[in-house]
Amino acid sequence: MTAAAPVHVEIPPGLARPGRRGRRARRLLAPALFVLPAVVFVGATVVYPLLYSVLQSFFDVGLREVVQGGARWAGLDNYVDQFGRSRFWYSFFISIVYAAGSVVLTFAAGLGLALLLRRAFRGRNVLRALILIAWVLPTVVSANVWRWLLDGSYGLLNAALRAVGLLEGDLFWLGRPVTAIAAVVVATAWSFAPFAMILLSAGLEGISRTLYEAARIDGASPWQQFRYITRPQLRPVALAALLLIFIYTFKTFDTIFLMTAGGPGGATTTLPVYAYNEAFEFSRFDTAAVATTVLMVVPIVLSVAYFRTLRKENA
Amino acid sequence: MSRESSVRRTASVLTVLTAAVSLAACGSLGGGTSEDEDDGDGVITFWHYYGDAHGVPLQAMLDKYSDESGVEVEARFIPFDDFNRTLQQAAAAGTLPDIALINAFDTTQMAEAGIIEDLTPYAEEWGEQDAYYETGWESGQVDGATYAIPHLADVYALYYNEDVLAEADVEVPETWDELEAAATKITQSDAAPNGLAMSGIEGAEGATGVLLRTLAAGGDLADFGGEAGVAALESMQRMTESGGLSEGFLTWNEDDAMAAFTNGEAGMAINSASAINVIRESAPDLAWSVAPLPEDVTEATFLSAENLTIGAGSGDADAAWDLIEWMQQPSELEEYLPARNKLPARDDVPGAVTDPERATFADQLVNAWAPNGDMAARSNEALTLVQQALQSVISGAASPTDAAADTQAAIDEAMGS
Repeated sequence: MTAAAPVHVEIPPGLARPGRRGRRARRLLAPALFVLPAVVFVGATVVYPLLYSVLQSFFDVGLREVVQGGARWAGLDNYVDQFGRSRFWYSFFISIVYAAGSVVLTFAAGLGLALLLRRAFRGRNVLRALILIAWVLPTVVSANVWRWLLDGSYGLLNAALRAVGLLEGDLFWLGRPVTAIAAVVVATAWSFAPFAMILLSAGLEGISRTLYEAARIDGASPWQQFRYITRPQLRPVALAALLLIFIYTFKTFDTIFLMTAGGPGGATTTLPVYAYNEAFEFSRFDTAAVATTVLMVVPIVLSVAYFRTLRKENA
Repeated sequence: MSRESSVRRTASVLTVLTAAVSLAACGSLGGGTSEDEDDGDGVITFWHYYGDAHGVPLQAMLDKYSDESGVEVEARFIPFDDFNRTLQQAAAAGTLPDIALINAFDTTQMAEAGIIEDLTPYAEEWGEQDAYYETGWESGQVDGATYAIPHLADVYALYYNEDVLAEADVEVPETWDELEAAATKITQSDAAPNGLAMSGIEGAEGATGVLLRTLAAGGDLADFGGEAGVAALESMQRMTESGGLSEGFLTWNEDDAMAAFTNGEAGMAINSASAINVIRESAPDLAWSVAPLPEDVTEATFLSAENLTIGAGSGDADAAWDLIEWMQQPSELEEYLPARNKLPARDDVPGAVTDPERATFADQLVNAWAPNGDMAARSNEALTLVQQALQSVISGAASPTDAAADTQAAIDEAMGS
């Protein structure tokens, strides 16, 4: 047996084992390349339109400028103009009322459902699936169903109220300011409560059952268990849920537009509806951009406040 | 530097780069357009918003033209709600059609935005403007130039159910006061659940009824805050309070209002001539007729019209004009308009209005009102504001005087913007 002759292989420069600096560069580049598609996608579909919209709010943009270009720089003129208009602030106020009402109702319904479905009972999974239908249903369907339910002459709600003697004649729920805003709040809460339920159910599942066992042994009532165990333990999830519900409702357009189109008399003209009208009905794309920028700033401010609170609590 | 901070920095650089690219792409805001002329391929692209049955007569007309002239016409239907937006996007992208059939009141806005061509040289050579009703022709004029040719017209009149009026023992109303009284009597006598049906829905469409009442009282859209506007709002308020007009009209569009009339749930309805064929087809046994709109200080109705325009930068502008000219021949309109269920925009097409109901509408064309000048460009917003005033009054949120004054201020603000 003869010993094998040593073989000398020439390694091409590109495949040579990189030096320390090269290894470090590759280590840094690899993750960046992995995230690049996501960054490009988000940049094209989120950052670009968002920046474009914000930028548009600083230009004088009407239909002519959209078509022909050449928009004039307006600085803060559009903001000064809009912030000086009562209709803008009225829409902002309506947005806050609508979002606050929807958040409270959605959260309460979501928490109630989550607590109910935490208990073991026959048909629980079927009930959970049925509840989720409200969330899965396309808004165009649910909003039109609500319109029909609330119709003054032929609506199911009025028929039920007449049947039990609580109503005589017609009551046009969507034709009066207070009932119209209440109706869109209820419709929004109805469709979004299942989402809140899912979030809060996850939060409830995270609470150790031993805490409840210990409390029961110590003689705590169900209310005391809720107050001293469930409420504090659920707080981080509840805060996140409240923030998400607020962001969702503050920017909601479809439900309101389909149910009332902002009426009656502007009573449900929230900022998204206001922005839509400014841009697509009245061709004022610059002032619409001011409204959408405000629409974006409010949830961002709340989100920052939320994360600061979390950081403080975790510190 | 730690690995985490390096990655974070790299991600930040990428984000900033993306943002910079985005901003650079923004460039000068807005589109850039219509310098790109289309290729003039000899095919006429024709955009319109006539869906379903309304589109059939138009397509037949275009097919006939293609057969006669040998010119290919490519028609595209775009739903009304998306039409202007699509046209604007096409203008920004430089892909406008050769012909766009637009709402007459959008002509000024489209012309000012550079979406449609100035047709003055064609129109002057053609020389048929005197054949058109003045209000309709004016809707195509912008700063003294012709940007659009009226395609067809429509106006509003009063439909009435003869059986319901007989049962309630009321005559066909000739004044708005009589209309209010008749509507109330119909409801109170249980001849029909509603005395009068009309659209009051959110948006410009729902302002038609109150605008008609304002015009009859001697007012105008531009001075809605005056006595006529207040009188109109008070009239609507009285009718809803008496039950002659259901509060639900605030949720009705024109189709809903006509459905109520056709089903016998309303004794009278205010609507355009478009509804004639609908009633004939869906309620052939209904005993109904049409009367001119009631008078007050004056007799007036509201013009609803559509105009033919040529897209800016069309490479086939001459061929497009030839088609427009051909479509406006009285002989073609006589065949087309009855099928389309509309009225002629010109007064030399008697064959298009031979049946008595349609003739009642046609007789009102001379009294038809339409926004013009600066108001034409802002009419959609002004009408939306008027409808909001109506809603405020009916819902009890504002008195007619306050609502009219607020609306006037908002209209003035819109006109100044």
